[in-house]
Amino acid sequence: MCDVCGCHDHSHNHGHETRTVDVNQSLLKANEDAAVSNRKHFDELGILAINLISSPGSGKTTLLEKTIEALKDEISIGVLEGDIETDLDAERIRAKGVPAVQLTTGGACHLDSSQIHRGFHSLKHQLNGKKLDVLFIENVGNLVCPSFFDLGEHIRVVLISVPEGHDKPVKYPKAIRTSQLLIISKSDLVQHFDFNLDKIKKDALSLNPSLNIIVTSAKTGEGMEEWIKFLTNLKKNRKN
Amino acid sequence: MHEVSIALGMVDELFRIAKDNHAKKITLVKLKIGKMSGIVTDSLKFAFDAVKLEHHLLSGAEILIEEVPLVYECNDCHASFNAEDIYFPACSECGSRNLKLVSGEEQNIESVEVET
Repeated sequence: MCDVCGCHDHSHNHGHETRTVDVNQSLLKANEDAAVSNRKHFDELGILAINLISSPGSGKTTLLEKTIEALKDEISIGVLEGDIETDLDAERIRAKGVPAVQLTTGGACHLDSSQIHRGFHSLKHQLNGKKLDVLFIENVGNLVCPSFFDLGEHIRVVLISVPEGHDKPVKYPKAIRTSQLLIISKSDLVQHFDFNLDKIKKDALSLNPSLNIIVTSAKTGEGMEEWIKFLTNLKKNRKN
Repeated sequence: MHEVSIALGMVDELFRIAKDNHAKKITLVKLKIGKMSGIVTDSLKFAFDAVKLEHHLLSGAEILIEEVPLVYECNDCHASFNAEDIYFPACSECGSRNLKLVSGEEQNIESVEVET
């Protein structure tokens, strides 16, 4: 609508020129540009960056705790924790002896790449010059919006826990299509739920044929060895 | 509701475009949004119409959204077809699921109309 006279006709003018500018670029360009610069920065420093996304309560922080327990003597790990409020998760990570920065979004349901840029610089202060091998970014718990925002990670890992149900891949296809690994967590609960493991795997692979899938339980330790191997292989392959 | 974040990013981008083109006002923003982009076009329009009022540059800007259909090309028989079934499409000619996405993921600003 023309805000000078309130009409819907764009053909007339009020003494100024109107013209069309071709843009043809992504709506998310600002985020994408910052993501590219983050990834370049991580590459220069030899850091493998991993973005963990899932619904709230799927076990992202628990997976990180177990991963740190398994690997902290071999590789140097840092964590950026995304939440709407509180630094409870960063405290859990620090309790494991690993540097962590809490990013509170104050309401936003996802992290963006400029937050990662700022968070990573805060993390570097905590490191005191120590080299980092792997940076984990734990996104805000949400299976929708985080899948739209490239943070500059090298690998995106999506978690779906057994109590959430096997229908999640088809309901949240973008999270599956943009990830390289699906972790089906809380496998110790399978016997208590009507959860079809074959169906969730088949659906996820239909959406993303190159997706890796690991079934885990932080309780029984199932799949943890496979996950650790996946990580160490990633790290090794990047060095070569 | 990532549409609000996307609308805010769009506002920043429109300011940049206005500056580059010495524009006093932006009157029209044309977007191309794919059916599988995951962007709810009504929500994006709602969010933009709310945030634009905070800026003189954008307060009169209309948003025009072209929805792009989901088109696949079959890697086996090379037929191309529109897909109704978003998640598990099969080739309409040979039934293959070995498909390449041709369009439907767009989330672009195509053009803007500026007053100079």
